[in-house]
Amino acid sequence: METALLEVKNLAVHFQTAGEPGGAGIAGGVSAGVIKAVDGVSFQLLPGETFGLVGESGCGKSVTALSLLKLLPTPPAILAGGEVIYRPEKKRPGKDLWQLPHGDLLKLRGKEISLIFQEPMTSLNPVMKIGRQIGEALRIHSAEKTPAAKEIRREVLAMLTRVGIHHPERAYDAYPHELSGGMRQRAMIAMALICRPKLVIADEPTTALDVTIQAQILELLKELQASYHLSLLLITHNLGIIAETAHRVAVMYMGRIVELASVKELFHNPLHPYTLGLFSSIPRLDKEEALAAIPGMVPDPLRLPAGCYFAPRCPKAMEVCHREYPMSREVAPGHTVACWLQEK
Amino acid sequence: MWAYFLKRMFLIIPTLIGITLVSFLIMQMVPGGPVEQALQRMKMAAQTEGGPGFGSGALQTAVTSAELENIKKYYGFDQPVLTRYFRWLKNLLRLDLGTSYTYEKPVSTVIAGRIPVSLTFGLTGLFLTYLVCIPLGIKKALKHGETYDHWTSILVFLGYSIPAFALGVLLIVFLAGGSFLALFPTSGFVSDYFEDLTFLGKVLDILHHMFLPLVCYTIGGFATLTLLMKNSLMEELNKDYIRTALAKGLTYRQAVFRHGLRNGLIPIVTNIGMIIGVILSGSFLIETIFTIDGMGLLGYQSIVNRDYPVALGLLVISSLLMLVGRIISDFCLVLVDPRIRFR
Repeated sequence: METALLEVKNLAVHFQTAGEPGGAGIAGGVSAGVIKAVDGVSFQLLPGETFGLVGESGCGKSVTALSLLKLLPTPPAILAGGEVIYRPEKKRPGKDLWQLPHGDLLKLRGKEISLIFQEPMTSLNPVMKIGRQIGEALRIHSAEKTPAAKEIRREVLAMLTRVGIHHPERAYDAYPHELSGGMRQRAMIAMALICRPKLVIADEPTTALDVTIQAQILELLKELQASYHLSLLLITHNLGIIAETAHRVAVMYMGRIVELASVKELFHNPLHPYTLGLFSSIPRLDKEEALAAIPGMVPDPLRLPAGCYFAPRCPKAMEVCHREYPMSREVAPGHTVACWLQEK
Repeated sequence: MWAYFLKRMFLIIPTLIGITLVSFLIMQMVPGGPVEQALQRMKMAAQTEGGPGFGSGALQTAVTSAELENIKKYYGFDQPVLTRYFRWLKNLLRLDLGTSYTYEKPVSTVIAGRIPVSLTFGLTGLFLTYLVCIPLGIKKALKHGETYDHWTSILVFLGYSIPAFALGVLLIVFLAGGSFLALFPTSGFVSDYFEDLTFLGKVLDILHHMFLPLVCYTIGGFATLTLLMKNSLMEELNKDYIRTALAKGLTYRQAVFRHGLRNGLIPIVTNIGMIIGVILSGSFLIETIFTIDGMGLLGYQSIVNRDYPVALGLLVISSLLMLVGRIISDFCLVLVDPRIRFR
């Protein structure tokens, strides 16, 4: 196996919830407690690959994405444990992003590792021109103290053209609200790529867009990923996007990865009942059966079941499933599942 | 955009006519107007001339209807109310606000005489308020929930809850020679020997006299602006674009000051046009306590004495300033917030 660019080991991110004193936790009362939003997540990101992280809302995928660069406000978030080993040079040992001095982390943010956010309207400063916002990343990461404004403008315009904006000059001097949603997301992508990062984390990059625009943006991301040889961590709840874009994929449920495999393997041979549930809840045009939703509700993160978190909703749950959380095991090369059904 | 502001400017005219018409009518309805006061004075004069012994009943008839007409004519009260209003309005167009009954001088002269004092207090107070509140609000937002945030909140609310006049009395008692320290002069705007001072001496003398009244003027206003600044900035700091700025590699401070602050200042800018109102600012109670001949006292006395021309003059100027101030506010908002557009 290739050396990973990013290796996440046993990542744990908790949230301290305030709650009401003495709250019962039912019908209005909110009990205080620690929510384990991310609970022992491990995966590797290889150079030049797109790795998908998929799961429903609240499963911890966005928290995972934000915690890698320590972008979560603490408190309420608690970076409880784990390692985020970033290894830009194959021959040198990597460094743990969580242990890095703050100043060194700031130098990586936006330069070597950058983010694309979900909602381009609110993720851009409404009172600053697009060109300035993109150029800012260049400016703060420039080796010179006062980089030439002309040079920055030239580079920003080139990047705007690169992400498919037809009138880069006009977009440069536009405010976010003056652009369409698709254009804004293109500008956001330009902002993430302006410093030529090695790794891009895209947190639901197309969720806020129209379906036709979604396809264009995905196409653009795919194309840029290949031409810049980027590693792309793609967070989404949409399996269709994973199928089109990712090389490997991890399925998350309640803060844990339940299944990890190459996209091909996962789509042909899904093993975890939750993954199967996700597949069967995709509407299909060629079959006329009713849409199969996963029965039951996501459990209260403050009162997780004793065994497998999915057991209460699982159609194949056995006695052991309610007792103990299953270990992750490799069922085929590169395909791991955490499910008792796979235990012999 | 210019068409919009031009329209707003023209709208001032009907608004101003509405304000003055209503005020004019109400003032005329209040008993104790200048004619009655003149009659009163004549009665008093007759009483002192005639000495004791004469019945007052006989004196009442001493004011003949002809004399009454004269008095009315002198004050312009021989005409119906609306005619008088339109005459006043016509004079206003020629920038003539009439003559004060009390001072028997043109109203414009009377008001202009109070402007330096009001302007000095108004401007310094305003600068002081913004100078204190904006940095304080920012710091409170950054240290939200910490001890610093709590004790400054206590101070600011204490200032807000103390009535200015009560604070004035307290300050005089404790700091201006009342019972304890005599650090500041009790009253007035300048010292008796003001004319003999050097320029620097004069400035210091005015500041020395201004300090206590200024504290009274401004302290109540700290709470609103500080909390407005704090809340507005805190709201911005929770927005997604701050996270984007951090993801770019900015420090938290840079993200706050380069991105959050400009957005957070937008609500503050909405108030900026009201600055123009400082020309007429004044507070009757504070001016009375510190014996300052300011606009507040003038306004109060003009109403008590039924000095209609002065009262109306003040009203017309302050309404005008307020209306223009709103337009300035809106204009500033357009300057700082690119999202505002005119269709």
